[in-house]
Amino acid sequence: MDDVASKIVEILQKHMKDPDKEVAMGTKLEDLEIESLDLAMIVFDIEDSFGIEIPYNANEEVEDFKTVGSVVDRVRSLVEGSDASPSGAAA
Amino acid sequence: MTQSNGTRRVVVTGTGAVTPIGIGVDDYWTSLKAGVSGVAPIQRFDTEDLYITIAGEVKGFDPRACLRRLKRDKVLPHADRFSQFAGVAACEAMDQAGIEAPIEDGMRAASIIGSGAGGLVTFEAAYRDLFIRKKKATHPFTLLRVIGSSAAAHVGIEYGIKGPTFGTVSACATAAHAIGLMFDFVRRGVVDIGIAGASESVLNYGTMRAWQAMRVLSPDGCFPFSKNRNGTVLAEGCGLLVLENLERARARGANILGEVVGFGMTSDAKDMVNPDIEGPREAMRQALRDADLSTTDIDYLNAHGTATAVNDVNETRAIKDVFGDHAKNLSVSSTKSMHGHMLGAGGGIEAVACLKAIEEGFVPPTIGYTEPDPECDLDYTPNEGRKRDVTYAMSNSFAFGGLNAVLVFGPPPA
Repeated sequence: MDDVASKIVEILQKHMKDPDKEVAMGTKLEDLEIESLDLAMIVFDIEDSFGIEIPYNANEEVEDFKTVGSVVDRVRSLVEGSDASPSGAAA
Repeated sequence: MTQSNGTRRVVVTGTGAVTPIGIGVDDYWTSLKAGVSGVAPIQRFDTEDLYITIAGEVKGFDPRACLRRLKRDKVLPHADRFSQFAGVAACEAMDQAGIEAPIEDGMRAASIIGSGAGGLVTFEAAYRDLFIRKKKATHPFTLLRVIGSSAAAHVGIEYGIKGPTFGTVSACATAAHAIGLMFDFVRRGVVDIGIAGASESVLNYGTMRAWQAMRVLSPDGCFPFSKNRNGTVLAEGCGLLVLENLERARARGANILGEVVGFGMTSDAKDMVNPDIEGPREAMRQALRDADLSTTDIDYLNAHGTATAVNDVNETRAIKDVFGDHAKNLSVSSTKSMHGHMLGAGGGIEAVACLKAIEEGFVPPTIGYTEPDPECDLDYTPNEGRKRDVTYAMSNSFAFGGLNAVLVFGPPPA
């Protein structure tokens, strides 16, 4: 698991009702009992940590937010596009 | 039954509107009938780094014509925009009702004008002054501008209203709660006349940021009940009604526009954002019982219809639960498709739409409806309004927090 993935798993765990549940790249967000308002907070945390902006809309079914791996992929592509990194944003 | 247990009938003798599709009830209603959209790129502040850049702004609002006539309230010209909207709407409604300031027997009058969030535009400006420009003081009227009850107070001062005067706060059900409370005050004889509704003007950078973070706004437009809907669109404005007991209105020869016949209010007590069926359904049932009407008496339903994925399906299910077979015969529409989501003020402006629908026998449309949604399968009056005799109209207001308020309006009593 690279930096992006482990940071996202950390953020997800912070918002999960049961943080001990196993989180793999293939895990569906709905299986982690993450609901729409949780997702708004998670996206906020991700944006804040990585210094990126994700135009996520809770009204739309978005493939990017189906599984842990798809979120990681989306964030990685945004991070690469913006030269931001978790360490950079934290500095 | 509200009319036979010793309580009084409550009629509407004035209406006032400040909206993104017209200032004044005539312009507003003309736009609603024609299916005009007030949603446009935001003009009043810089949206460069936002990805939601549209809203229903009130354009060309110049309060001076109204404010010049003020006889008693010297502060309104310096008030927050939401209070000025209320001042202008109150002037219109009181003029229509034939009431001059100060009102006769002010102790028997009430002003209940709410606001979902009060003077957020003033707040932001003050904080910019303090934290960015490092000013030593805020404008001296900052406090008076921000308080959520200031619209009720300004209107009360101008018209010499000395009875109950306060604002309601229930997010997007604020105006409906205000009108419902006034309905109750007048029918129980707490007061004889009052002005009620809500005003909202929260469009600024910080508000857009906060709503954008909620992930419920559409970047494209407000398309209630259509399959392609992708969120609501924020707007600003004010809608007010003058309510009066029937005898008083008749005695002074007032022009009676309609009657408030029923009110229901419930709370989901479940979730801050996801609406439940039970709360909206029971609020509609309460309002019908209060009005002593059956479901088949309702011709037009002005839906809450925010164009979020969740609200429109939930509201449709709740309507079907309440109305059963008659749901298919109802003319439903969400006028938010045209004026946008005025938050606290929505129920006031939508009450005006219901009264005009009854008066003119015309149902305003839901515009931007391009794709039927199998989960939203009622007659939403898509894209074009239509003539229909409307005897009774229902107006739904459902707020974040699961706060529900429903009003039922009828024609002027025979």
